[in-house]
Amino acid sequence: MLMPKKVKHRKQHRGRMRGVSKGGTAISFGDYGIQALEPGWITARQIEAARIAMTRHVKRGGKVWIQVFPDKPVTAKPAETRMGSGKGNPEHWVAVVKPGRIMFELGGVDEKLAREAMERAIQKLPIKARFVKRELEI
Amino acid sequence: MDRLLRAEITEFSPVMDETVLVAETGRPLGSRASRRLRAQGKIPGVVYGHGADPLAVAVDRHDFRTVLRSAGDNALIDLDLDGEIHLAIVKDLQRDPLRNRVNHIDFQRIDRDEKIEVVVPIRLVGEAEEVTKQRGLIQHQLSSVPVIAPAGKLPKSIEVDISGLTLDQPIRVGDLDLGEGVETDADPASVIVVGIITRAALAAEEEGEEGAEASEGAAESSEESGSAD
Repeated sequence: MLMPKKVKHRKQHRGRMRGVSKGGTAISFGDYGIQALEPGWITARQIEAARIAMTRHVKRGGKVWIQVFPDKPVTAKPAETRMGSGKGNPEHWVAVVKPGRIMFELGGVDEKLAREAMERAIQKLPIKARFVKRELEI
Repeated sequence: MDRLLRAEITEFSPVMDETVLVAETGRPLGSRASRRLRAQGKIPGVVYGHGADPLAVAVDRHDFRTVLRSAGDNALIDLDLDGEIHLAIVKDLQRDPLRNRVNHIDFQRIDRDEKIEVVVPIRLVGEAEEVTKQRGLIQHQLSSVPVIAPAGKLPKSIEVDISGLTLDQPIRVGDLDLGEGVETDADPASVIVVGIITRAALAAEEEGEEGAEASEGAAESSEESGSAD
């Protein structure tokens, strides 16, 4: 699973996810992409699940790019613990995603197969997302 | 500038076409007024260049779409500003990432003989049979390249023939035939398109070989057992 090699601070504040994505809203490498339509935290497990769903469906012949990286630690307190006594321990890593962000890209396959693969990958994500193509409207 | 790839453009002319676009001047400024303009089917924009003061304009979304679709992203546009024609190009487009619509256009005034730098899309033509024969994948790494050319000689797109592409020989910027008077300051070593074999394909190939070996082994053992019988 994706996670940072080294971090400056072990624990982070949760933060807010207001507005739309500032960058990463265009397809850069592949021909098709998955675009977030809602803000949310995507865990490293969900990214991996989506990647596997896509690569298994295209079998071979396609190339997948992951355009989000889970660099935010999420802490949790152990079960049946009384409140207080400080912040919990880092449990997993998430990528903060805002609407408009292209999370995955796919190239080297035809549109039908790409759409099917990406629909499967979208099912693994906790937010609403859509399949997009490189062609842009005016 | 965002790259606009459109499959609808079927006719191919090597040099930019020129079209007329009417722009209304004196549009109200500000985000609320711009929002109202967009709701009316117009796109707010600005015209600048050649030392003149920037001018706020608005163009019809439908007309603008028609111009770019017919003449390409770097179309030379005869911008009609209150009856006065200014030759311009689209320097920048701001987009709404969710609606996938243009929110604002920057037009830059140019001269026909003036050398300008624009980003030109690269189109792949032909079939890379050598790569597909080896179950490889064609990876189009560089989809556009910045070129410097006189405005009248700007190419609409650059065609790259991939019929001779092999797995170990990528096509680089240095291999491009840009035409007369057209230069690029992109790194000549930058890879445009490359034939690769993905890890998944390699794994599948290995599995296939192992499967074939296993089946061969099974056949041999059955033959041996048959001969023993």
